[in-house]
Amino acid sequence: MLQPKLKSKVRCTDLDIGEVSKVVLDPLSHEISHIVVSMNGNGERQVAMGHVQAVTEDLVQLGAPSHDILALPPFKREDYVTTHEVEISHLEDNIHVTPGEVLVPLPDLEKNVKRRTFFMNFTHVIGFLIGLPIAFPILRFLMKPMYADFDNQWLNVGNVSQIKKEDVGVQFEYKKKVKEVYMPEYEVEKNVWVVRATPELLEKVYQGKDEEFRDAKGKVLWTNKKEIPYIAFSGKCPHLGCAYKWRNHKALGPVFLCPCHLSIYSAGGNVLDGPAPRGLDALPLRVSAGGEVEIIDMEFKAGTKAQVRIV
Amino acid sequence: MAEDHESMSPTKIGFGILWPACWTAIVVKSVFAVLLLTMGLVHFEGTFGLAFVMLFFSPVTVFSIPLIMAMFGAHFGEGIGLEILFWLSIPVDIWALGLVARTFFLERLRKEPPDALGLAIWWRSALVGAFFLPVVWGMVSFVTDNAMTASHSMAEMESLRHITDTGLPVAERISLELTIWGSISSAVLIALSLIGISILGQIIRGMAIESRPASENYQGLITRWDLMRVPTDQGLLFTSLAGVGIVFSLMFWSILPVTTPHPHECCKKPDVQVEPVLKPVESLSSSAQRVATLAAQIEAMEQQKVSTKGQKAKAKGKTQGGATADSTAKTKP
Amino acid sequence: MDSKHSSPATIPDHQPSTIEKLVAFLDERVGLKEMQAKMLNEPIPGGSRWAYVFGSILLFIFAMQALTGTLLMFYYVPTTDHAYDSTQYIIHDVDYGWFLLGYHFWGSSAMVVCVVAHMSQVFLWGAYKKPRELLWLVGLALFGIVITFGFTGYLLPWDQRAFWATTVGVEILDKTPVIGDFIARFLKGGPTPGQMTLSRFFVLHVMILPAALMALAGLHLFLFRVAAPAGPFSGTTEEIKAKTDYFFPRQIWKDMVGMAFVFAGICALALWEPVVLLDQAAPDPGEYHPEPEWYFLFYFQLLRLKIFAGEFGQFLGAVALPVAFMALLVALPFIDKDPERNIFKRPIALISWIAIMVFIVLFTIASVINREFLD
Repeated sequence: MLQPKLKSKVRCTDLDIGEVSKVVLDPLSHEISHIVVSMNGNGERQVAMGHVQAVTEDLVQLGAPSHDILALPPFKREDYVTTHEVEISHLEDNIHVTPGEVLVPLPDLEKNVKRRTFFMNFTHVIGFLIGLPIAFPILRFLMKPMYADFDNQWLNVGNVSQIKKEDVGVQFEYKKKVKEVYMPEYEVEKNVWVVRATPELLEKVYQGKDEEFRDAKGKVLWTNKKEIPYIAFSGKCPHLGCAYKWRNHKALGPVFLCPCHLSIYSAGGNVLDGPAPRGLDALPLRVSAGGEVEIIDMEFKAGTKAQVRIV
Repeated sequence: MAEDHESMSPTKIGFGILWPACWTAIVVKSVFAVLLLTMGLVHFEGTFGLAFVMLFFSPVTVFSIPLIMAMFGAHFGEGIGLEILFWLSIPVDIWALGLVARTFFLERLRKEPPDALGLAIWWRSALVGAFFLPVVWGMVSFVTDNAMTASHSMAEMESLRHITDTGLPVAERISLELTIWGSISSAVLIALSLIGISILGQIIRGMAIESRPASENYQGLITRWDLMRVPTDQGLLFTSLAGVGIVFSLMFWSILPVTTPHPHECCKKPDVQVEPVLKPVESLSSSAQRVATLAAQIEAMEQQKVSTKGQKAKAKGKTQGGATADSTAKTKP
Repeated sequence: MDSKHSSPATIPDHQPSTIEKLVAFLDERVGLKEMQAKMLNEPIPGGSRWAYVFGSILLFIFAMQALTGTLLMFYYVPTTDHAYDSTQYIIHDVDYGWFLLGYHFWGSSAMVVCVVAHMSQVFLWGAYKKPRELLWLVGLALFGIVITFGFTGYLLPWDQRAFWATTVGVEILDKTPVIGDFIARFLKGGPTPGQMTLSRFFVLHVMILPAALMALAGLHLFLFRVAAPAGPFSGTTEEIKAKTDYFFPRQIWKDMVGMAFVFAGICALALWEPVVLLDQAAPDPGEYHPEPEWYFLFYFQLLRLKIFAGEFGQFLGAVALPVAFMALLVALPFIDKDPERNIFKRPIALISWIAIMVFIVLFTIASVINREFLD
């Protein structure tokens, strides 16, 4: 059934009583609940939609006689507000009670669809071409500190006289100076484990090959010769980076033991037990004529099988 | 403006076409300028503003600039980038003048724009500019210099007359002088510019008089010049525009200097000194070789000593032996 | 839902694409199509104009300043011992840091230029008159915020130029009667400029002012929509109607081209004159002659005139004059009730505007000339 239009005639079963002056909507169902009939100067009556039998463009046919309608209580305008005075979402989406339409002319210049799409696309292209040139510099800007160069300087960590026995892990503690960009320089305490290895242990560790250390460009930085009896291991456990210790294990004897997750390594750095994905990380080492031990401090990614240098 | 189009003043016509055309063109020119600046092909120092003004008015300045530079020794910037910019501005100006002039002919003059209007107006503007602008430059420079001197002496007189001890204070003096020569100079510049624009306007009016009247009504004319801006093949335009933009962006990314081109005293990067490559194995072996060579030399000399019983040979051997002993100690790791 | 939408009836696609389905989904819930139509299909009497682009350009510049500013904050440290070094780090070590800092620096100048251009355009078009008085007032507040942005940001590199420009500027504010000392101490965070000053200026610059600007800019846009574009100040009804088109797409396109031009301009300035810091801030200015940013130079020069010397003179120049001028601007829509908007028929307005522009240019050039007389 069509919706009753405002200003359309209202006809009872017996006679025409007036016209639709107002329409009432139900706020919950968003449907027309009542029409208000203005009876040619005799006041207004609110008529439920149940009484409406048929609707045409300009006529609302009621199914009741006129005296029934007249008997209804008078319409109380003060009990209602217009839809502009209240915020009920989607209220008028399906309501079409105005006869005809209210229109404004489309400007002549807007009638061409090709024109609209042209300028819309042109706007998008220009916008894209403003953003594009700065995307790369911004990315590089943000990435600057992420892949900093390595500091490959030799650090004196102690003297070989600290080592009393062979094939035994000896912890060398040292201080490293750190300067982060524009921040003032400060010192961190670090440690390495140094082992004076017997030829048998050296054979196990090097397996006949010198250990090469390369820089970021692939150039050889230093080679730990297999004949040199000293080996230095990074103080961080390759499992998850904890500081490990030299302990006497009940079954395996004197070993490197990490207290965090119980990774166990031999004096030569090989994994004996535990979750470590690789052996201890050896560092470039050199010993001066006076027995001063020097290393290049390196740190490697923890938890990976491959050895990836990060510091 | 609703007015009698036939009698529109030449200044209005000249300005009505030149001003929008310059703004239309500068948008495209600025993209080239940024690219050339990034490449480091053009440097401005203090003449940035003047160079911008010259570039903005390139339809009239393009041929006058070399003349002004030659005649008056004027300086607009360093680097071939400036020259490149002005060459690039020629097609841009022709296009911009064409677009604006056709719009103007339709809407304001109600005439059918003739073909190749942009080019026609461009070469006439460039020619007029080539003759007129050096004149303007010369006159304005002359007037400014004289006005500056005159205002300077006027200010001197003022300070002597009114305030006996210290003279006019500096700030007041500067303001006074600047107002005097500034207004004279500006007035001359504006007057001459208006004359120049009027000349241009007359030329264009001549072209308009020879053109057929446009047939549409006002709305029709507006819609026509509006739709004139919509290309028939939009896809082609956008692909080319995006393509050029992407190429320019890639160029920009690769040539933009990573660190500042004007480093401050505090943080000038030290000259990178190429360190001799440290080859420990080689140096060890070369030292060993040297030791061996020297040892062999000692042996040979001792044999010589034995064979030729001379004190000189002995002394040589001793010093050389001493020298080799030292060098051997040094090469130990 | 159909009668709400003014788009002409089209033969519906029988297979709506994914995008169309998505749009329909959103439209049903949010009223997307109608909202879009209301936002974009705003008729501009007399048609879209290049003269109207400055407002959108200002929005663009603000967005770029927010972006570059945020990026700078990744490396800048607002303490007196690290501000200078971290700024130098950005300029010399961070990839393209110099360029982004240069963009931020010149972007602030571009913003001041565009604000003056926008205000001038509104003034000359008489678009401050009824019913746009509130727009004008909110706009003046926005102007104040932009100037404060420039003032607070200038201190952050903590070099001699920054430190002394701020010191002099705050001293001028100090001359305000009654509340001057309070304001000055509030800004400085103490009797003299130091770490507290830097912290306060930093908070103002990156938090308080951006929030204020966004809120007021939103209000400004709302008021603009409610008042509708004023359109050209001359032309017959026929001409205006013939040229009328909608905000979308033509005006938006012009705004975008304007943004592209300003973007290129700022890049060009950053490439021409990268930011170079002076020595680190020190209590003794030494050889350096304090100077504010270039857009304050005209005022700086004005205060050098002898009539603004002495205590009363300082009050006149530092407080009375600017307050009077701002008060005049605030009162403008209420004083100027004449509905005439054609600038060529408002001689007082035209002459005042020209006079003010000439005054600013004159005194700016004068302050540059004055530099030679300082040694």
